[in-house]
Amino acid sequence: MSVEEQVKENAKQGKLLTHKCTNCGYLHLSTAYYCLKCGSKGFEDVFLEGTGTIATYTIITVAPAGFEKYTPYAFVVMLLDNANLRISGFMAGISTPEDLPVGARAKITGFDERGIIIERQ
Amino acid sequence: MEKVCVLGAGSTKYGKLADSIADITTQASVSAIDSAGIEPKDIKASYISNVFGVADKQVHIGPVLMSRLGIPDKPSLTIESACGSGSVSFREAYANIAAGFYDCLIATGVEKVTHTGTEWTTTYFAYCSDFFYEGQAGASFPGLFASMARAYLTEFDATEEDFAKVAVKNHDNGVLNPKAHMQKKITIEDVMNSPVVASPLKLYDCCPFSDGASSVILCSEEFAKAHGGDYIEVIGSGRGGSPAALQGREHLTTIPSTKIASEQAYKMAGITAKDVDFAEVHDCFTIAEVVDTEDLGFFEKGKGVQAVREDRTKLNSDISINPSGGLKSKGHPIGATGIGQVVEVFDQLTGKAGERTVRDAKIGLTHNFGATGASCAVHIFQSV
Repeated sequence: MSVEEQVKENAKQGKLLTHKCTNCGYLHLSTAYYCLKCGSKGFEDVFLEGTGTIATYTIITVAPAGFEKYTPYAFVVMLLDNANLRISGFMAGISTPEDLPVGARAKITGFDERGIIIERQ
Repeated sequence: MEKVCVLGAGSTKYGKLADSIADITTQASVSAIDSAGIEPKDIKASYISNVFGVADKQVHIGPVLMSRLGIPDKPSLTIESACGSGSVSFREAYANIAAGFYDCLIATGVEKVTHTGTEWTTTYFAYCSDFFYEGQAGASFPGLFASMARAYLTEFDATEEDFAKVAVKNHDNGVLNPKAHMQKKITIEDVMNSPVVASPLKLYDCCPFSDGASSVILCSEEFAKAHGGDYIEVIGSGRGGSPAALQGREHLTTIPSTKIASEQAYKMAGITAKDVDFAEVHDCFTIAEVVDTEDLGFFEKGKGVQAVREDRTKLNSDISINPSGGLKSKGHPIGATGIGQVVEVFDQLTGKAGERTVRDAKIGLTHNFGATGASCAVHIFQSV
């Protein structure tokens, strides 16, 4: 299974597959092939729960093709729990900033034609 | 290394253009050749920046341009680096002259997309993101910069009105630029009342999709002196990169590639940010100009909005930012933008900028990035 396919399959289970450098321990998203810190190539798989807090986001009203039917929706950047790592994703049902304060709890819940799905907790 | 000069510069008008991509590429190139007072046979090669040639049924534009210029035997290279393509093609031409491979080159940037409509352009521009994480999850480019804007509003003492003021300032400058796409003054209320595209960014926080082409002639100092006429000198050049997706950046309100590229360029030029008289920066969205002016070292992190509030970036204030009107008002034909910035610096430093002249300017800087700053190039120029 390709790296991206693995991310998708894990996201469908509400998990996030990450790569921990076996040399220096630095944690990466699993699309990293070499360590950002030490340049080494060895990684071990670490499965995160996919939970975290909203670091930033936007509510999109003018959407790219395929997303018109979902507007308004949020594109969010989430800081993962217990990791210095962020992940982006699609969040449905957000229409005003009052719906999603920065710092709100959120979780990966799936993967479909809208990419990684993140829901507010 | 050879000293590198810019000997001529020209642009089409930016906006919705009826002529084909091949036509506007040639029009801008001919105006640069005429501005330099050279003949096409003086040009040894071309560097063409373009992203979405497929939209106007013409990729591999280089040979088409060279054929129309009557020099089909000369080599060309087409370069794509998203919205930062122009500065990369300028850099490639610069490096080839600095290395002594050639004594005279043309760098032309072009984009022709407005006929495809907002949905097509929004969709295709999103392909410049880290698509697996961003475009695939519905992120548009306004959406990615809006995410930076939200982070900035959360972290610093800033308001949406502060961002709006950047747009008002750039439109004030663009009114004085006959080549600008949006030659009209706007107010903070106009920005605040414009439709939301991706909150907190509204339509007037965003640059327009534009068609247009810009071109410059680069040459060795020896060529410039032998040739005569006005020229300016390139005294600094730098390039840098950033994590492709916003999620991978250490800070969500800093673009690392801008810092890397500008530090290289300042070092090469032997100057600091304080020595820069004016700068054409990549203001694809109002938040971008604020972040750029901090990352380039003009203001401390978090203080860029204060500078805007105090009118310190207006034409002929502390530092004139985007005297051309910037991407916001002059327009953003993405493959042309980085070259268009050099055209503005050439016009400014050779006394051709008319009513928008930055008084007593000696040193100008261009800053142009691709996508959300995943790639960036900075150049510094000096009058001769």
